[in-house]
Amino acid sequence: MLLQVDQLRMYLHLRRGVLRAVDGISLHVNEAETLGLVGESGSGKTMTGLAMLRLLPRDAGRIESGSIALDGRDLTTLTETEMVREIRGRRIAMIMQDPMTSLNPVFSVGDQVGAPLRYHDIARGAVLRSSVIDVLRRVRLPSPEQRLGDYPHQFSGGQRQRIVTAMAIGCTPRLLIADEPTTALDVTIQVQIIALLKRIQQDAGLGIVLITHDLGVAASLCHRIAVMYAGQIVETAPVRAIYRSPAHPYTQALLAAIPRLHATAKRLTAIPGQPPSLIDPPAGCRFAARCPHRMARCTEPPPMVDLGDGHSAACWKLAA
Amino acid sequence: MTVRRRIPLWLRGVPWLALLVLAVVGICAIGGDDILPADPNQLNLADAFRPPFWAANGSVDNPLGTDNLGRDILSRILAGSRISVIVAAYAIVFSGGIGALAGLVAGYFGGVVDAVLMRLIEIQQSIPSIALALIIAAALEPGLSTVIFVIVLTYWAWYARIIRGEVMTLKGRDYIAFARVAGVGTPTILMRHLLPNIFNTLIVLATLQVGQVILFEASLSFLGLGIQQPDISWGLMLADARQYITNAWWAITMPGIAIMLTCLSANVFGDWLRDRLDPRLRQL
Amino acid sequence: MSRFLLHRLLQGLVSIVGASIVIFLISRLSGDPVQILLPSDATPEMIAETRRTLGLDLPLWHQYVIFAWDALRGDFGRSYRWQMPALRLILDRLPATILLAVCGLIFSVAVAVPVGVLSAVRPGGWTDRVGRIFAMLGQAMPAFWVGLLLILLFAVQLNWLPAFGYGGVSHIIMPAIALGWYPVAAQTRIVRSAMRDVLDSDYIRLSRALGTPERWIVWKYALRNAAVPLLTMLGVYFAAMLGGAFVVETIFAWPGVGRTVVEAVFSRDFPVVQAGVLFTSILFVLSNLLVDLTYGIVDPRIRDDR
Repeated sequence: MLLQVDQLRMYLHLRRGVLRAVDGISLHVNEAETLGLVGESGSGKTMTGLAMLRLLPRDAGRIESGSIALDGRDLTTLTETEMVREIRGRRIAMIMQDPMTSLNPVFSVGDQVGAPLRYHDIARGAVLRSSVIDVLRRVRLPSPEQRLGDYPHQFSGGQRQRIVTAMAIGCTPRLLIADEPTTALDVTIQVQIIALLKRIQQDAGLGIVLITHDLGVAASLCHRIAVMYAGQIVETAPVRAIYRSPAHPYTQALLAAIPRLHATAKRLTAIPGQPPSLIDPPAGCRFAARCPHRMARCTEPPPMVDLGDGHSAACWKLAA
Repeated sequence: MTVRRRIPLWLRGVPWLALLVLAVVGICAIGGDDILPADPNQLNLADAFRPPFWAANGSVDNPLGTDNLGRDILSRILAGSRISVIVAAYAIVFSGGIGALAGLVAGYFGGVVDAVLMRLIEIQQSIPSIALALIIAAALEPGLSTVIFVIVLTYWAWYARIIRGEVMTLKGRDYIAFARVAGVGTPTILMRHLLPNIFNTLIVLATLQVGQVILFEASLSFLGLGIQQPDISWGLMLADARQYITNAWWAITMPGIAIMLTCLSANVFGDWLRDRLDPRLRQL
Repeated sequence: MSRFLLHRLLQGLVSIVGASIVIFLISRLSGDPVQILLPSDATPEMIAETRRTLGLDLPLWHQYVIFAWDALRGDFGRSYRWQMPALRLILDRLPATILLAVCGLIFSVAVAVPVGVLSAVRPGGWTDRVGRIFAMLGQAMPAFWVGLLLILLFAVQLNWLPAFGYGGVSHIIMPAIALGWYPVAAQTRIVRSAMRDVLDSDYIRLSRALGTPERWIVWKYALRNAAVPLLTMLGVYFAAMLGGAFVVETIFAWPGVGRTVVEAVFSRDFPVVQAGVLFTSILFVLSNLLVDLTYGIVDPRIRDDR
């Protein structure tokens, strides 16, 4: 197992209270496998990705408990210096949502792609230059040698996302955390980027955590999907199982909310209500207030029920 | 939490210290020589170069020491506030008045009037203010009126530019259009509808200008182009003290501290007022 | 050169011409220069004669044209006090003033950048609080007083630095500090606010996520972005230095244009005053124009649009 996260809790200590952003997350990713982390805004999926790299807001964010094991090594026990030198950009990399703002406007593309290689002592001088060209070729950026000195604004959105991907995979990391990598792109470019990620995964055995709210994108890239709600994972399953037989009421509601082209519905199906406050979350199941299958038992935290074949969901309905 | 709630909102965060300093300056300015601890012009050569009261030779009679002619420095400093206040008052009234009027007219009428005004502003801003002061002082007699004239000539453009911007924003508003349609005459529109709305901005600009005016007058007087003997100005005191800088460190520091405290208080108060009345001016 | 720059250059030219008119008019305000030149027992004929020779009987606009024409050919008249062509006097002193202005600017930037960066990286920290207080005080202290205090401390009390004159490095330290003191507050604010924005940006977050050491993030990747607003304003600050030079040069007896003009004012030496003020204004306008030029150089995005 490449990555194993066990009961991770990460809280934000704000002036108005303690925000339980990540509240008991357990997941795992295997080599050459993509795990989709799916949920609506505010569900904590981005926070989970940041927590895995321990990139928390300096004073406010803290990992309260739990472990993050990369190739067996617990990242929560490392010092910041060790994280910077050995983990970030080297063994775990991250790419973010908006390619238009992810690149530094006053530095050349060659400089930025070479930066992780330089800071992790992978290459230097002439070797560095050829390594940069090499990785840009791997992400299929046209004529990389000529474009090393160019600046980000001279590239299109899709090209910039490729450049960002090149920055991420330059040191051949073991795991890639992709936070909504296609959200800011055209649909046609989205397809290209997804294909790129797939190819890189096959070539290097890269594990990917794909954070997204777009179930369509998740379906095309992920092997397994974990559904998040209000800071917790409510269901994990192989991708087919999620779409064919969703077990958790939230997952079911999410899938039902996707508008279908051929349906003749007059209004969009939405999930009534709002997600609960993460500063003062309900004691039991956090989805209970909006759940059509709510029972009396739901005031207690539901257990994670194993439904076999790698499918599990946290719901009292399934526990019986 | 309850203690904070007891202070009414408009009173919260008021820069009390700054207001206190400004009040002292104001009182000294209005009060005249009688309220001063000693006669600021009284020569007393026997007592020359007396250090402040906490130093070896000092006495409480001259708390901040005496200058080369034995005059009490504290009294001179307090008397000097008069000039600062007078200059600030005249300068602000005239430069603000002229600048606001120019900005009002240019902003409202636009076109040629505006173009001419902008060129004038650019010309004014192409000569550094000290240089302008120098050349005016060379042409006219140095003195209080020269100082005020120079400051007005320097600062009117500052007001004009900002007021012009404000007016240009305001003139697009509906109530101006309604007034015009209703046949209200232009002078009335300017005076009754536009002026009250730029008033806040004017007040803020005026208070922000006070600190700069104080520094400017001090610099001019220091160079000898401003206030002349026997009038008392802090800048002039510093110019005198410069000659015997090796003998009397207090004569160099005390008037300067007066300048700094007054300017600082004016700045702090001006910033506070700006934040309350018109925070858009922050980028100045 | 792009249209925009050309337009700005033209604007600058108009400003300089306008300034020259203002300078000319103000000089004429001083009353009759003939009175100054001639002894008090001069006869009316002598006065009229002198007036005609000096061209003072011509209409004002005509006098200006002569003045401008002469100026363009480099003739500003002869200094009464120093007995040499006014222009040459000014041009001889100009390098010293420019040197002082540059050093003042270097000082202010050298203080503003580290303080601004540290303030942004550690808001509420020691550097931030002390920096803010000093900035507030600094804006309330006139440059000449700063100069006097420096002399008091370093020349009189400690005897480390010379109180005046022109010579080696030790002669320029105090004047540069006195001159560069005032804009430090504004520059620090610019750097601090720019750094805060940049440190919050997506590309910095990505740099951090990919394991760039924090030192490099702050001083290389963030600062280069935050410096853009400061660098583009350098022209404005240089212009401010030129203005402050008049007073600072006088205190430190620095042999620049500023001190010369101040002395000329007291001698009513109009040729020198006119030449000095006009040249300072030209430099002033050019420095402000520099802002538009540097903007293109400093920010690669704008570079390509030009």
